[in-house]
Amino acid sequence: MASVVLNEVRKTYAGGFEAVKGVSFTVSDGGLCVLVGPSGCGKSTLLRMVAGLETVSSGDIRIGERRVNDLEPMARDIAMVFQNYALYPHMSVFDNMAYGLRNRGTPKPEIEKRVKEAARILELDALLERKPRQLSGGQRQRVAMGRAIVRKPAAFLFDEPLSNLDAKLRVQMRIEIRKLQRELKTTSIYVTHDQLEAMTLADRLVVMNGGHMEQVGTALDVFQNPASVFVAGFIGSPPMNFLAGEVDTQGRLRLPDGAFLAFDPKRGEAQVGRKVLAGLRPENVALRNGVEDGAAPRFRLELVEELGMGRLVHGKVGERPFTVAQGASDPPPSGYSLSIGIEPALVHLFDAASGLSLTSAAPRR
Amino acid sequence: MHEVSRALALALGLIGRGDQEFLSIVRLSLGVSLTATLAALVIGAPLGVALAISRFRGRAGLILTSNALLGLPPVVVGLCVYLALSRSGPLGKFGLLFTPAAMVVAQLILLTPIVIALTHRMAAGLWGEYGGALMVDGASGPRSIAIILAIGRATMLTVFLAAFGRAISEVGAIIVVGGNIRGYTRTMTTAIALETSKGELALALALGMVLIALSFAVNAVAFLLARAWRK
Ligand SMILES: Nc1ncnc2c1ncn2[C@@H]1O[C@H](COP(=O)(O)OP(=O)(O)OP(=O)(O)O)[C@@H](O)[C@H]1O
Ligand SMILES: [Mg+2]
Repeated sequence: MASVVLNEVRKTYAGGFEAVKGVSFTVSDGGLCVLVGPSGCGKSTLLRMVAGLETVSSGDIRIGERRVNDLEPMARDIAMVFQNYALYPHMSVFDNMAYGLRNRGTPKPEIEKRVKEAARILELDALLERKPRQLSGGQRQRVAMGRAIVRKPAAFLFDEPLSNLDAKLRVQMRIEIRKLQRELKTTSIYVTHDQLEAMTLADRLVVMNGGHMEQVGTALDVFQNPASVFVAGFIGSPPMNFLAGEVDTQGRLRLPDGAFLAFDPKRGEAQVGRKVLAGLRPENVALRNGVEDGAAPRFRLELVEELGMGRLVHGKVGERPFTVAQGASDPPPSGYSLSIGIEPALVHLFDAASGLSLTSAAPRR
Repeated sequence: MHEVSRALALALGLIGRGDQEFLSIVRLSLGVSLTATLAALVIGAPLGVALAISRFRGRAGLILTSNALLGLPPVVVGLCVYLALSRSGPLGKFGLLFTPAAMVVAQLILLTPIVIALTHRMAAGLWGEYGGALMVDGASGPRSIAIILAIGRATMLTVFLAAFGRAISEVGAIIVVGGNIRGYTRTMTTAIALETSKGELALALALGMVLIALSFAVNAVAFLLARAWRK
């Protein structure tokens, strides 16, 4: 049991490329922290630094009481699940799980006991004698998990462990990982580029972009109070819509085509005349038939995607693509003369130049 | 034309009745080349993996060197070994010059860079895949090397075949240090080189046929294995 603390961690690769640019966050004892961000933003680099597979250029990494920067991976008391699983192909499932314990000189009966126990939890009992290539993708994933849990480490590190599975299995394993982690109460860092996986797993979410940390918080907090345009567009599916505009009077935006959009001035300051981006979540937007008052933004319908549990209505507001998510009970759009409506309190505002939120109460760090 | 077909008939006769001299030449060739190849594997394979998995100063230089040495001219290697083993050379007191052992040494020097370079290439890929897991699992350096070789054993077989193919068909180095002494250091390639120049075509042809069959078989097996394992 241990917490993991990162303090101003940086990584510059040998070529001079700075992949991680000063990241600080804490994973509480027993908590599950998810690092999420687009491809190449430095998630794996950060995780590998925690594991000891990459050197830390500057900053501190602590696991429990110890500063681990200069410790070998083995001495850090972590276990890692890799994206490609990295199961040793010439060893049986049992030996794959036992290997790390053997290297640590764990007594044989204890190894036997722990592997059997992990196999029971992960329903691998019948597969212990098989070689990895004789397993399905999902079973391999379980073995990779098993290899981590037999060690009873201070922390689990997961690098996109589900990205090689098909969509259905991914959802199933996501739930199992969450249950397992709750049960074992092992401090965990989980890397993914899938925002839904991130939202559903995280006690704490760290959103990264281009080596920077954009925001840290609970999944709900990050979703409700995105600190930047980047976070707002990255977390949530379908992604948030953005409309460019200018603060016209307190509580009202003017859009380029002359339409107006009301926002809640109590949520944050935005001086008159400021250029902003308004963020509207697809599920918060209502479609109105007809263009009743000429001031509401007009919506040009392009395509309707029927999802069963609702539908996605795609079109344009002004020159910008815009999506509205409707519930199954909402009337489907009829005709092409449509406008959009939204509760002023649900409109997010971002500074057009910096991309930082003007309405989010949450601090950026 | 007439002479060639006569030589061909004689050659087939040598092979057919298992001529003693012919067989001993084939045996020596196989013995020298197999010994050199296995020794090169024993030395070069762990080194090749070690180059792929460890980070130390001068590592890039070593990799570059082993790759550059792939094209080592055999005659020059032979010459260097000759100078080292000759009576006035640093290793002269062992009296190895013009013995099969000298031939093994020369071929070992030729083959080791090949084994290192090919093994390194394979191990670099495997280390990318398994290195993290091995480090987290706390495998020591020698254990990591053993596991990478075990995982890559199929590729190592093709490395073996490539090295053996080079050894068995090589003439420059062994003719210089072995001296092509009849019944002692005469191998298939040195015999072909010398017999042909003397106009003794029958033995040369017979050995040539065996050599072609051997290297054809080695290359075919290497190709088939490589194809089967790529799937
Ligand atoms: N060994 C390396 N040397 C130099 N640059 C590297 C190295 N490894 C990664 N990078 C660069 O560092 C950046 C971050 O890489 P990293 O693998 O951490 O991204 P990631 O967020 O895990 O992306 P993905 O979701 O695609 O796995 C990338 O731009 C990558 O090109
Ligand atoms: Mg990655």
